[in-house]
Amino acid sequence: MEEVYVIGIGMTPFGKHPDNTAADLGAEAVGLALADAGVGRQDIEAAWVGHVFQGMAMGQRALYAAGLSGIPIDNVENACSSGSTAIWDAAMALRAGAYDLVLALGVEHLTSLFRGAFAPDASDVEAQIGITMPGIYAMRAQRYMLQYGVVPEQIAQITVKNKKNAAMNPLSHFKKAVTLEEVMQGRLIADPLRLHECAPVSDGAAAVVLASKAKRNQLGGSRAVKLAATALMSGRIESGLADMTVEDLTWRTAQAAYKQSGVGPGDIDFAEVHDCFSIAEALRVEGMGLFPHGEYVARVGKGEADIGGSFPVNASGGLLGKGHPLGATGVAQVVELVKQLRGDAGERQIQNAKVGVAHCRGGKAQGVEGTACTVNILVA
Amino acid sequence: MTRVDEVSIPEKVANYVIEGDRVRLRASRCPTCGSVFHPPRTICPTDGAGPLEEILLGNKGTVYTFTVVRQSTPEFKTPYVLVYVDFPEQVRVLMPYDGEEPPSIGSQVDIVMGLGPKQEEGELASVPHARS
Repeated sequence: MEEVYVIGIGMTPFGKHPDNTAADLGAEAVGLALADAGVGRQDIEAAWVGHVFQGMAMGQRALYAAGLSGIPIDNVENACSSGSTAIWDAAMALRAGAYDLVLALGVEHLTSLFRGAFAPDASDVEAQIGITMPGIYAMRAQRYMLQYGVVPEQIAQITVKNKKNAAMNPLSHFKKAVTLEEVMQGRLIADPLRLHECAPVSDGAAAVVLASKAKRNQLGGSRAVKLAATALMSGRIESGLADMTVEDLTWRTAQAAYKQSGVGPGDIDFAEVHDCFSIAEALRVEGMGLFPHGEYVARVGKGEADIGGSFPVNASGGLLGKGHPLGATGVAQVVELVKQLRGDAGERQIQNAKVGVAHCRGGKAQGVEGTACTVNILVA
Repeated sequence: MTRVDEVSIPEKVANYVIEGDRVRLRASRCPTCGSVFHPPRTICPTDGAGPLEEILLGNKGTVYTFTVVRQSTPEFKTPYVLVYVDFPEQVRVLMPYDGEEPPSIGSQVDIVMGLGPKQEEGELASVPHARS
């Protein structure tokens, strides 16, 4: 199978961008990624563009603004995994030998469209009953607390950690650390989850330039990072009474990535995971086999997931701190892995980072625990 | 408060029959593997068998988990309590809980009709609820 390399990364600041359109943000990220890769617009052979709510032909609008046109442009919607699914698509095309140099972009201008709590698609059976995304994770948190004997203050420590990291990331939506007291004084959104424990509504874009091994060698590529695995899975329709603290979808996607790369949980140095809510971070890392079930929350309290800890999680600030412009999120995670593996992460640099994993999950529908999941493994 | 007629909820969503003051949910059971689904399905996603057997769930269940939703989309009146109810037929169903304080996990609930939290033309809709 053809090896795939990330040779360029670009990302806008995440946050509120009232004066920019989604196309503006996408174009900015693409320009940065091309410059970082040292390639020209004309060198890109095809592009995949992930977004969720940006309407018809978002990819064309962004790439036209960046000066790319005429090439194959594929718009990708896969809920919050849209951007990382665009990476999966682009990598598959390289592996198939169809191209040697392609682009994956994720973009979302969410503040112009939404406020408040997200819910699954309005036609969904559970959405009609009143489920919201925070509501789903709150119900999972209730089970986690009961089964593993933890309290809301311990779960809230995940937010404290991630916002502390975000304060060291110049591209973050939130640039201020919060104390545990501040998190616990926040208003309840869905019990036990409070305001700071929910990812914000953000705008932003992130892009990566991907190359075949031959193209990487031709370009020099001393800063290239190998995409050792890229896995995509959908949720399985459930029957019976599953344990809602265990993520079958995350587990199966991670297993596919481990098999592809020959990298196992014990070989991985750090992770960026889909912490759309505080409790979600625990469910992800435990679902990937990076921590034993039911132990992660207590270990966060001991500092194990801090940047200086034994296994840093969401050094970028995660969705909770860096922000969550849906389509851009999965690409931004890979951008962070590349920065860490290049040693370019500045204040939040993880020492001796050699192997990183990015986990991005999207969506909810009645009958499945989640709709889409990607796991990408990058090796320095 | 005026009660919105039950037919205003699409049949495929509020899939239930009313028996006196109790409600029974429609479900389907796979004749091959025995998996039970609510709302009913035509083909079993576990083994592909079909057609599935139509059944009615019993009108009692156990609270698997709960939350109080305090921020929602505009058509819902907050706050409201949601529960996942585990039925003896081995199927889990989301529904509102009829009470201001949430029930404890593992407690028994009856399935009854209740109002809300969804508002339709300003009125709360009548849907199956769990009640302690």
